Amino acid sequence: MKVDVKSLDTFNQLAHEGAQEATRSLCEMTGIDAAVDVTKISLIDRSDIGEELGTGQFVGVQFGFEGALSGETVLIFEEVQTTEIVEALMPGASDDEAMAQSAVREIGNIMMSGFIDGWAEHLGATIDHTPPGYIEGNSEAILPDNPEVGAHDQVFVFRSEIEWEGSSVTFFIYMLPEYEPMAELLGEHAEVDGDAIPIEKLAVFNQMTRQGTQKAAKNVQQMTGIETESEVTQISFVPIEDVPRQFGEELYVGTVVEFTGAPSGFLIVLFDEQSAVTVAEALMPVEMDSDELTDQHRMAIEELGNIMTSGFVDGWANVLQQTIEHTPPRVVHDMGQSILSPLAAQLGQSQRHAFVIDSKMKTDEVEFQSEIHALPNDQELREALEALDVDRADQTEADAIF
Amino acid sequence: MKVYDGSQTEETQDVDPERIKVGIAEYEVTADGAELTTSGLGSCVGVALYDKTSAVAGLIHVMLPEAEDMDGEKPAKFADAGTELLIEEMEDLGAQSRQMQAKIAGGSDMLDFSEGGAGIGDRNVEEVRETLSEYGIPIVGEDVGGDHGRSLRLEARNGDLVVKSANQENQRL
Repeated sequence: MKVDVKSLDTFNQLAHEGAQEATRSLCEMTGIDAAVDVTKISLIDRSDIGEELGTGQFVGVQFGFEGALSGETVLIFEEVQTTEIVEALMPGASDDEAMAQSAVREIGNIMMSGFIDGWAEHLGATIDHTPPGYIEGNSEAILPDNPEVGAHDQVFVFRSEIEWEGSSVTFFIYMLPEYEPMAELLGEHAEVDGDAIPIEKLAVFNQMTRQGTQKAAKNVQQMTGIETESEVTQISFVPIEDVPRQFGEELYVGTVVEFTGAPSGFLIVLFDEQSAVTVAEALMPVEMDSDELTDQHRMAIEELGNIMTSGFVDGWANVLQQTIEHTPPRVVHDMGQSILSPLAAQLGQSQRHAFVIDSKMKTDEVEFQSEIHALPNDQELREALEALDVDRADQTEADAIF
Repeated sequence: MKVYDGSQTEETQDVDPERIKVGIAEYEVTADGAELTTSGLGSCVGVALYDKTSAVAGLIHVMLPEAEDMDGEKPAKFADAGTELLIEEMEDLGAQSRQMQAKIAGGSDMLDFSEGGAGIGDRNVEEVRETLSEYGIPIVGEDVGGDHGRSLRLEARNGDLVVKSANQENQRL
């Protein structure tokens, strides 16, 4: 089964339009002003789905769908936001738990029929869905159990974030289709030309990125003594303008390099400000007086960014059996979206969409989290995947020299 | 509809105007004094247009300089096509291009890896200037270039553009 940019784009748009339809229904019904922020289609390890939800308590609705596509969909938001949402729909209802639940179910119903109808219409096929059931749970535990993945350990997931303007409320829609029917549909929508790549290779690329991240994490541990505990690796496909968008106004410190080879692109290592201070100080011989980021902190980040980048790029180069070179790191300290926008723009001169490779490492011991993002040239990535020998994907570890 | 016609009292000014967010490659126009905001400009440029007479304002967040081969693309992604689109949309709300004034911000050259020649930030700014000048719209305020990100708030009741940066004081253009 092969997938190409056109089929990924079709499904990304489909999910985006579904989310927009759902949002329109919500706005009409409640008078609130909400808009879909980002929609992306990703291939990710099942266990990593929902990692971005953090540690909050969520409520929402879930339903199954069956037909041209089968799987589960949820619409959720943070429980602390329930009052605001329920009051918008049924003033006075938030005091009564049963009424609040029924209001949540009602919102779910309104949004979800729009969502699924949009899909069915576009696919020209029937998709049946079960009535929505109320769900509540802690962060990622609220998400549906495994969709049918068969022998695959990675799953496709469609995610949309919907922001209610003028409030802090964010709705999340997750759609988890079963792997095989989804892969088949993607294959059917691909053009039969040389651009298509076998779907399995996307999964292999994720494994390869995971190994690159592990190398980077090992380097962090050697330099700072901070042992990181988990990594999330995913490859997503989005319109180029949505690449910076998902980073928002939050401030980050980190490094950016341009890499050249097959593929070329940009590699971005980011720390939130607190993590940057933590990790930089772990590198310094003396305690710092100030909690603010100083030039010394920045120098430490540059050093660390460099070594993480090398680890990551080495991992890729080994698997691809290619030389990948990179520029010296440039240190950045700015809003996430501002950091990514010039990089997306540089790629955007020759491509409309981008594959974004994201990985994360964190530890619970200290305040530390780091993200690595790669933004490859899309044509070159396809060529690299085409040339990729699937059997080599597990070899980055064997070549690791420390 | 709220109408800000200059006769409002201090009291009505205290009412928070509606706030509308403009994403990358998007635009918004308003004829009723809403605040238009956009965040995280790097090499992108925010173009704020204001027609005092009709009290119509618009803000666009463009990403790339030129819309060559734009087949099926969003015009709002591009400095040239996007600025034109914004002008037209404001005209539909009763504004006139000869009464419009522009304020622009963004176009930072941070993280520009292109070798030689002008970077994307510079080219975005240049393309916006050219398009505005074709319509005879003067730029009455700007905060462009540099190597930092910016977020913008266009106050459509008076045409002020507030520029926020991560490490600098807010500026009011």
